[in-house]
This record gives sequence, structure tokens and C-alpha cells, in this order.
Amino acid sequence: MAQQQPSFLEWLSHHLFACPFKTYFGFDCPGCGLQRSIVALLKGDVIDSIKLYPATIPLVLIMVFTLIHLKFDLKFGAFAIKVAFLGIAVIILINYIYKIYNHQLIA
Amino acid sequence: MSEEQENPQENNPIDLNKSENPVEIPSTSGPVTPPPFQQPPPFGQFQGGMGQQNLPNSTISLVLGILALPACCFYGIFGLIFGIIAWVLGGGDVKKYQSNPGLYTESSYKNAKAGKICGMIATILSLLFIGFVILIVVGAITHPDAYDQFFKGFR
Repeated sequence: MAQQQPSFLEWLSHHLFACPFKTYFGFDCPGCGLQRSIVALLKGDVIDSIKLYPATIPLVLIMVFTLIHLKFDLKFGAFAIKVAFLGIAVIILINYIYKIYNHQLIA
Repeated sequence: MSEEQENPQENNPIDLNKSENPVEIPSTSGPVTPPPFQQPPPFGQFQGGMGQQNLPNSTISLVLGILALPACCFYGIFGLIFGIIAWVLGGGDVKKYQSNPGLYTESSYKNAKAGKICGMIATILSLLFIGFVILIVVGAITHPDAYDQFFKGFR
């Protein structure tokens, strides 16, 4: 198992979905980097994951939290999800604007 | 921007309690509504929500609303579809709860409202992105030379 896991991750990193947007228009969409970031996270590189796509870890956390909330019906769960969702939307927006300003869209 | 400014008002739980009371008072005084449907809500509220149901679409709208955010990356259209579905389902459930608040559990109402707002945010985000794409495409059609130079400069 210990040998299989890295090889699977390597295979995964070479078989990601190509962004249909980028293949047609030539520049990144707001979601580009998400898959690379998830692969980096599976490898254990948290810093790499944040650099590639800052919203990955909050997205994973909000999904796990939503499952917990739907299962156990937390008291402030819905409010927390709303606030976290707004925060993630802002992170994605800022990340995209940052990419535009630093000409990282075409890479 | 006007849609985003509406959100904080709906986040307030105080407004909900205020809006519940005017709904209940006419329902008890109105002669049109049948009496058997008026009495279960107070019982349900006092017993801690034993006889109340969950709103039908609250969970779906919440899950779709959250999935709409990563779905923005496929042209923005999937994010728009998920976001609008979550918005409509959540909005319908919120209206259903407000028409007779005693029938449904409050937690599912909160979920429906969260799903509605998440759908709203995702819809706004995908609309922004689609607007950005339309701007670039229009720019590329009207000034093809500038578009080519822009891309050659970075390749």
C-alpha cells in the first residue's frame, strides 16, 4: 500500500481534466488550479496547495462541515456555512483578480 | 451590488421572529382558514418540534448551493445552473415556511435560507465571470490585433 499510493498520485497528476475554458480561450478561469491544488493536498504539501489555489482547503472544510451539520443538525451550522461560503467566494474573487494583475492567467 | 446588499438583512434572525408573529395572528383571527391546521403549530412549538416535518428541498438546496462554487470553473455555466437551482429551491422553501411556520422544523428553515443565500452568491460570482468572458470575447472580435499582441507578449 505504501508503494501504491505515491504512484497513484503521480498517475493522477498526469491525468487531470483539462479545463475546457482554457483550451478554447487560452487563459485561466476562476477555478483553474483547483485540481492541481487537490493533488498537492493529497501529497501533503499544504503550502503548495495554498499557492496553487487558496480556496481548496476552505472548500474541503466547508464540505466536511456541511456533511456534519446535515448529520447532527448543529445549532449555528447554517449561519456558519453562510459566513464561510461568503468568505470562500471572496477568496476566489481576490485570487482571480490577483492573477489578472500579475499576468498569471496565461501560463 | 444591490443583491449583495440585501443579504445582510436576511441574515438577521431578529427579522424572522418579527415576521413570524404577524403571520400567526391573522391566521388565528381569520375565519377562512380551517381550525385543525391552526392548532398543531403551537403544540409542535411547545413540545420542542416533535410533530414538525423538515422542509422538502432544504438539504438539496444547501448541497447544490455549496457545490455551485467549485462548479464555477466550467465556463461559469454549471455554477450558474447550480446556483439558480439552489436559489429557487431555497426561496420556495423559505416562502413555504413563512406561510405556516409551525408545520416545519426551524433547523430545516435555516438550512433552506443558507442554501438560498449560497445559491445567490454563486450566481452572482458566475454572472461576474460570464460578464468578464463576454467583455474579452467582444474585445477580441473588435480589436483582433491587440488580442494577438497581448497573447504573443506572454508566450
